[in-house]
Amino acid sequence: MVHASFGAGIPRNPTRGFVRRALLCAFAIAFGVALAVPGWTQALVGRDRAPPDLMGEWTLHDDEDPGQPLLGQYLGMPFNVAGRMRADTSAESIWGTAEYRCRPHSAPHSWRGVGGARILKDLDPLTRDVTGYHFQYWRSLDRPVYLDNRPHPPGYAPHSWAGFGTAEWQGDTLVIKTTHFKDGFLQRGGPQTSDIYTMTEYLTRHDEYLTVTQIVDDPVYLDEPYVVSTTFEYEPNSAVQMESCVTTALGDGGGSPYFVPHFLPGENTALQEWLVKENWVPVEPTRGGAVTAYPEYQVSGKNAKPPISRSAVSVQKAIEEQSPRDGEVHVLPVQGNVYMLVADGTNITVSAGKSGALVVDTGSRNMSAKVLAAITRLQAQVTAAVRPNDCNGSECIGQPSWASPAMNAIIASPAPARPIRFIINTDASPDHVGGNEVLAKAGYFARKGGTNVENGAVATAAVIAHENVLTRMQNGPGGDALPLEALPSDTYSWKFNKISEYVNGEGVEIFYEPKAISDGDSIVQFRRSEVISTGNIFSTVTYPMIDVKAGGTIDGVIDGLNHILDITAAEYRSQGGTWIIPGRGRLSDAGDLASYRNMVVIIHDRIQKLKNEGKTLAQVLAANITLDFDVRYGLDKSWTPAQFTEAVYRTLPAAARGKKGAAQ
Amino acid sequence: MTAPKFARIVSAALAALTVAILPVSIAEAHHSYAATFDVDHHITLKGTVTQFGFRNPHSYIQLEVPDGKSGTVRWSIEWSGTASLTSQGIERGTLRVGDVVKVVASPSRVKGEMRAQVVSLVREKDGLSWGLKGEKVD
Repeated sequence: MVHASFGAGIPRNPTRGFVRRALLCAFAIAFGVALAVPGWTQALVGRDRAPPDLMGEWTLHDDEDPGQPLLGQYLGMPFNVAGRMRADTSAESIWGTAEYRCRPHSAPHSWRGVGGARILKDLDPLTRDVTGYHFQYWRSLDRPVYLDNRPHPPGYAPHSWAGFGTAEWQGDTLVIKTTHFKDGFLQRGGPQTSDIYTMTEYLTRHDEYLTVTQIVDDPVYLDEPYVVSTTFEYEPNSAVQMESCVTTALGDGGGSPYFVPHFLPGENTALQEWLVKENWVPVEPTRGGAVTAYPEYQVSGKNAKPPISRSAVSVQKAIEEQSPRDGEVHVLPVQGNVYMLVADGTNITVSAGKSGALVVDTGSRNMSAKVLAAITRLQAQVTAAVRPNDCNGSECIGQPSWASPAMNAIIASPAPARPIRFIINTDASPDHVGGNEVLAKAGYFARKGGTNVENGAVATAAVIAHENVLTRMQNGPGGDALPLEALPSDTYSWKFNKISEYVNGEGVEIFYEPKAISDGDSIVQFRRSEVISTGNIFSTVTYPMIDVKAGGTIDGVIDGLNHILDITAAEYRSQGGTWIIPGRGRLSDAGDLASYRNMVVIIHDRIQKLKNEGKTLAQVLAANITLDFDVRYGLDKSWTPAQFTEAVYRTLPAAARGKKGAAQ
Repeated sequence: MTAPKFARIVSAALAALTVAILPVSIAEAHHSYAATFDVDHHITLKGTVTQFGFRNPHSYIQLEVPDGKSGTVRWSIEWSGTASLTSQGIERGTLRVGDVVKVVASPSRVKGEMRAQVVSLVREKDGLSWGLKGEKVD
C-alpha cells in the first residue's frame, strides 16, 4: 500500500524539509503555550474553542419524562433504610399546607418539572467573560451559578431551594456543584431528601440539544448517589413562564392549620395499591435500594453484590459545619441591625448599632472573652469605623460651620462604640447564660442617671429573662455562688415583654414559650430587622433538647415552633424574609422551621400512638421509630435519639385522640 | 425461585412499569394527585361555600358540610389552578359565599384530614356544573 502525500513525486530538498520541521515544531510549541494561557487561546482560536453557549429557552423532551411515579414504586431508588421509611411515611398532602403550598419544585426535580428551562448568563462588563449562569424553571426562583471561583459559604450560612452553585468547564461540559440546599424530594409522592444533600450536574450541548445529568448525593437517605438525566431541545420561540402562588392559612378542612399530614409507620396502605392490579409483579424490587439499580439484580435479586459507590458526603462533617465547635467565634451578618455569632457551637444574636449592643444569649463561660472581643469589634465596625473623608467645607451635612469634625475623622481616633446595653437569656442552660457575668460587667445600662458609677458600683448591662430563668439559676447547682452580674436583673412573667425603648432604631419584643425546652423559654423578635432569635426551641443540628426536670414538654416545643411560624413572613416561595437564628445550627427561615416543626410533630404522633396502645418506654425505644430522622438530628452524643424519645414519651398524656391538630 | 426465573420476572416488571408510567407523563402539577388523594374512591359532600380561593397553584373551596348531628364540618376542597379553570368557564366570581353546592370528591389519603379533590361540582339553584362533561383537575 502506497501512502499518498502532498508533494509526492517531487524530489525532496533536505534543507526545505528541515525548515518545514522547524516551522511545525515552532507552531506546536506556540499552540501549546496558547492553550496554557486562556487569553491567548481565545485570541488565537476565537469562538471555535470557546465553550458552547447555553443561553436561551429550552423545552423538555416529554418522551423521557417519567412524570408522576406510581405511589410506592421505588425500583432503582438507592434508598437506605431511613430513606425508605421517610418515603413510606411522607404524605403528599403536605403540599396543601400553608407552609408548603408555595414551595418551588425541589432542585433534583426542577429540570423535570413542566415548563422547560431558561438559561441566562452574566458577563463581566470589562472583559465580557462569562462569570455566571442563571437557571429558571416554571415553578422556581432564579438559580444563580457562579463561574468566578468564589468559595462556597460556611456551613452555618442559610440554605435555599436553589442552593449555592459554582461551576467550571470540563471540555465542552459545564460541571455545576451545588451545596446549601433546603430539604426536598427526589421524586413526587414519596422519596425525600435531607437538607445536606449536594448535587453535581453535567450540562452538555450537542447543537440544538442539551443533556443534563444530575447526581444527587444525600447520605442521610441514600446508600449511593441518585442519578438522572434529562434532554432538552433549543426552542427560541418558547418562554418559561412564572407561575404565581397565593396561599393563606386555610387549614385543612376541619383540622387545625398546624396539622402536619403524614402516615404513621404501617399506615400507608396505598404503597402497594398498584400491585393489586399488577399482581404478577414481585414486591421486593419495588421497595428500592441501591442494588435494584444494577443489572446484577436481575440475575441474583437481593443477593446481588454490585459495586455500589458510597456517598462522598460526610453527614457528621456537614452537621458539625453548621455549628462549629472549634473554640472560635464566627460572625455572620443577617439582616438590618442583626448579626449571628457562632461561639463554639452556640449561637448568639447581636443587634449592633448606635444605641449600643443588644445580645441574645451569652454563650458558655469559657468563651466569654472571645465573645466580648467579637461584639466590641462588631460595634466598632458598625458605628465607629474610620472611613475616607467624603466631605469638605461648610457644605458638610450635619456640621455647624467650617468643619473640624471631618478633619478629625481622618487625623484622630473615632469615638468609642457604645457598649452592650441589653442582654436577653432565652433559657437558663449553661451555654446560654455562661457569659452573662463577663458581658454584663463590660456593658452599661444607666439605671439611675447618666453615669456608669452608681452607689460606688459600676453599672452593668441589663440582663432580661423570664422569671423562671432567674429562679432556676439561683436554685440550681452553685446558684448561691453566682455573682449578681451573672443573674438576670430584669425578669418578666407575662406572655410577652417589650424592651421599653427602641434599640438601634427598632422595637424588640420577647415572647414567653411555656413548657417548651424548660419552663423559662423566650424567643426574641427584632421587629424592623425582621429577625427572630429562637433559643433552643429550634436547632438545625439536634432534636429539641427538652429538659423534662426543668419543666419542658414536647407539646410546649411544638406550640413554640408554631408560634414562631405564625410571626414569620417569607420573602417569596417559603424562603427568606424573616430570618430565624436557632439556638444551635445554621441561619434559617420559615421554610426550614416548618420542616423542623413537621419532624417534631411526626415523632410526637408516632410516640403518642404507641403510648395510646399502652406501650412502655422500653417498647417504644425498641420500636426505633425515629430511624428516618436519627442520622440528621441524632448524631450529637449529648442528646441522643433515645434521650429525646424518652423526653417525648414522659411528657405526653397517657392517651390522646388522633394526630396533633387533626380533625376530631 | 431460580435466578433465570427471577430475572424474567424483574425484566417483565420493568417493562410493565415503563408502560404503566407513560399515561401519566403528560400532566404534572404542584404535587402528585394520586399520592395525595385516593382517586379510586369518591365521597359526596353537600354544603355551603364559605370561601372560594381562585388562585395558583390550586384553587380551594372551603365548604361547611352538616355533620349529621347539630353542627357542621369544614372541608377544604382542592380544584385546578386559575388558567385551567378559566379555560373551562370558571372565574373568580363563579362561586359565591353562601352558595350551596354538591361536590363529588376524592378524599385525602391521610386519616383525620378533611381535605379532598373535586371530581364534579353542581350548584342546583342555577344548574352550574363542572366535571360532568369530562373536565378534570389539572
